[in-house]
Amino acid sequence: MTPRGMLRELLATGPGKAGMGLLVALLALSLYALVAFPLDFGAKRWSNPSVWADNPRSVPPVWTGLLSGGRSMPHTVLETEEPAEVSGATRTYRLRLEFEADVPPTFLTVAVAGVRYHARPPRLEVVVRRPDGTSVVLARPQVPGPRSGEAAPYERFGEGSLRVALTSGERTTTALRELFLDEYAADVPPEDLRDALARAIVSVPEPGAPDGLRLLRGSYDLELRATFDDPRDELGSVRFVAGGSRFGLMGTDSLGRDLAQGLLIGLPIALFIGITASIASTAIGATLGIVSGYMGGKTDLVIQRLADVVANVPLLPLLIFLVFVVGSHLLLIILFLVAFSWPGLTILVRSMVLQLRSGQLVESAVVIGASRWRIMSRHIFPHTAPYVLAQMIFFAPAAILAEAGLSFLGLGDPSVVTWGQILESGFRTGAVFLGWWWWVIPPGVAIVITALTFMLLALGMEPVVNPRLRSGAPAGYRALGAGR
Amino acid sequence: MSFVRPLAVRAVTLIGVLLAVLVLLVVSLGATGFSDRMLRAVVGEEVRGLRTALAETIRDPVELERAVEAQRGELERFYGLDRSWYTRLPDTVLRVITLDLGEARTLKSSSGSRRVSDIILERLPNTALLITTALVITAAIGLVVGSTMAARAGTKLDRALSYFAATSFAIPAWWLGILMILLFAFQLRLLPAGGMYSTPPPEAGLLRFLDLLWHAVLPVFSLVLVTVGPYLYSVRTMTLSVAQEDHVMVARAKGLPEGVVVRRHILRVAAPPIVTGLILGLTSSLGGSILIETVFNWRGMGRLYFDAVAGTPDEAVIVALTFVFTLLYVAARWLLEVLYVLLDPRVRYT
Repeated sequence: MTPRGMLRELLATGPGKAGMGLLVALLALSLYALVAFPLDFGAKRWSNPSVWADNPRSVPPVWTGLLSGGRSMPHTVLETEEPAEVSGATRTYRLRLEFEADVPPTFLTVAVAGVRYHARPPRLEVVVRRPDGTSVVLARPQVPGPRSGEAAPYERFGEGSLRVALTSGERTTTALRELFLDEYAADVPPEDLRDALARAIVSVPEPGAPDGLRLLRGSYDLELRATFDDPRDELGSVRFVAGGSRFGLMGTDSLGRDLAQGLLIGLPIALFIGITASIASTAIGATLGIVSGYMGGKTDLVIQRLADVVANVPLLPLLIFLVFVVGSHLLLIILFLVAFSWPGLTILVRSMVLQLRSGQLVESAVVIGASRWRIMSRHIFPHTAPYVLAQMIFFAPAAILAEAGLSFLGLGDPSVVTWGQILESGFRTGAVFLGWWWWVIPPGVAIVITALTFMLLALGMEPVVNPRLRSGAPAGYRALGAGR
Repeated sequence: MSFVRPLAVRAVTLIGVLLAVLVLLVVSLGATGFSDRMLRAVVGEEVRGLRTALAETIRDPVELERAVEAQRGELERFYGLDRSWYTRLPDTVLRVITLDLGEARTLKSSSGSRRVSDIILERLPNTALLITTALVITAAIGLVVGSTMAARAGTKLDRALSYFAATSFAIPAWWLGILMILLFAFQLRLLPAGGMYSTPPPEAGLLRFLDLLWHAVLPVFSLVLVTVGPYLYSVRTMTLSVAQEDHVMVARAKGLPEGVVVRRHILRVAAPPIVTGLILGLTSSLGGSILIETVFNWRGMGRLYFDAVAGTPDEAVIVALTFVFTLLYVAARWLLEVLYVLLDPRVRYT
């Protein structure tokens, strides 16, 4: 059967159509992921906490706000490089936060970058001006002074920035307590305040309200005042971040990582694992099967015994053992998967070749004087091709599930992001037991959809492959068991 | 006895598998330096014990050091640490076979023993319980629904079944377990999220057994849900292909009742591959138990494997467990062969 004929046959079935459609969609998405993200995303960004420092932690996706009602706090990042006001030696950087939500921000931070001074470090002061006209000094971040042996001008926070959390610490607690005492004549106990600082910044005290605080909606001016000693001194940029109560398309994990990015970059990796492992294992399986069946004799015996042994090995325990002892590089994992998954196809192909070998087609090829390799590749292989292809499709989900299982046990390659690893971190940090469904459901759904794509294609291949020849469970069945 | 020979041949092959896996284990341990580290830890442990014992009798610290060093040298020779790993190979293989792997580093059995064999033997029944329960349920559903479906091949229900089988195939049981916990344990608060007994566990007897069943519902349900789809489908396909054979037509033509045709002429013929599928399912859930037991904190061998790999790795336990898993796997395979010989008369005469 020609490849075109097989494709037509495949697309004539319902599962074939669905599988093909899904496959095209997955390939397009992973192509986008490969273009949009750097190749070292896993090592350089995903496992680097400072990249995600500005994100709220363990918050659900933005669209869940539509379902639950109530105005959620949008994640807000405000940044400026120009002072809004200059008076004498003091420059004021001002950013406006419109607060209209039913919940307070999850946190408030300020980050200052690119400080350059000549004599003494600038004195910094963070002030919040509230909609009711009150204001409070929340922090006075310190810029480190000159070190001995260092020459002016002194550069500070050129890379990375001076980050100060405004919603934690004794300083903020005291400042807010004094604000409430002076402006509203309310004495809020510090132990109540300490755990509700983010709420307190955007609230007025009110007895009876939760935490004794009522949210104060309106425009907040967040200011950073910098007083310089030398007019040549500079300050690069000021950034305020108000943590949202929801974030992104898929929410965040407990490190603030954008799960949408992790899910997206996991797709090409899953496809890579599935496709390379299945191509390699079918190539080995088919070649050995053809050689074994056609050559016969000692070659046959050796290959069949080997296949027998490998086919009877428990896959997952051995995979775990090998990855644990040898190492968890992605390519090594694929190699181990391939090493244990070829025998099923070898045994199947051999039985087909035994029938073909005694047929007239091969006989006439031998009479003409074709070489053994030519007969095997040109006259025998094409007859087995549909079965080999079906097995190849069948093995891809097996490899994807096996890798996911390994990752879930904490044996995944740490330099790449896989769905199994996202699930593992979710499980290990207890997301399951806290009900953080956005962390553990989507990666699993992604695994299932990807595996299902190949399963549907395999189902659609059935009319192509003679059902009579499938005796017992399909050869990929065993390998598939490994990841489940 | 005509069926002894094929069984013996398979037994030899499977023993070959066992040996091959053992050699693979020992070689990968040796070549990566793991086995040296393991033995050093054992020697270190014994030397520490000796030092305390010797300190009772030998007062002079220099003398004591010398005596301890002499003992250490003796122990190292005894465990073969002075030789390279490949010369120790037969020794190590023997130690693994007898599960004589010394003591676990941190893991303990519930009775407090740290011997690897104690820990594993204690966990074995728990895993067996989980897997066999799931297997029996899968087999019952698969046989009944599968053979019924074969009679309705081509209907809408049949097509829906093939989609269910494909989906069931594509779902990792462990992730399904997580979903079950989210739904039944936290959303609905109907079933326990993990563990084997409530705290405090009920007194021995019926209550304790019921408590165990109560905790087994979710893990067993997850296992069944992912294995039943493919099994159902393979029973259906197998039955269908036998039903199209000529001898079935002959049986019907003779006027045999449909029940007899299905039982004696279809299911009896399809039995060997159907049993194959079941045992293959058993062997795959043996490996899968590592994941499902981890999710449900079920104190079986699988959870033990996870505990040995995660955190501070317990090499001795990992080696012993890999071996025990292989042993069980091979035993299941041999059981399959026996059943096959019993079920398929053709095997006996070849």
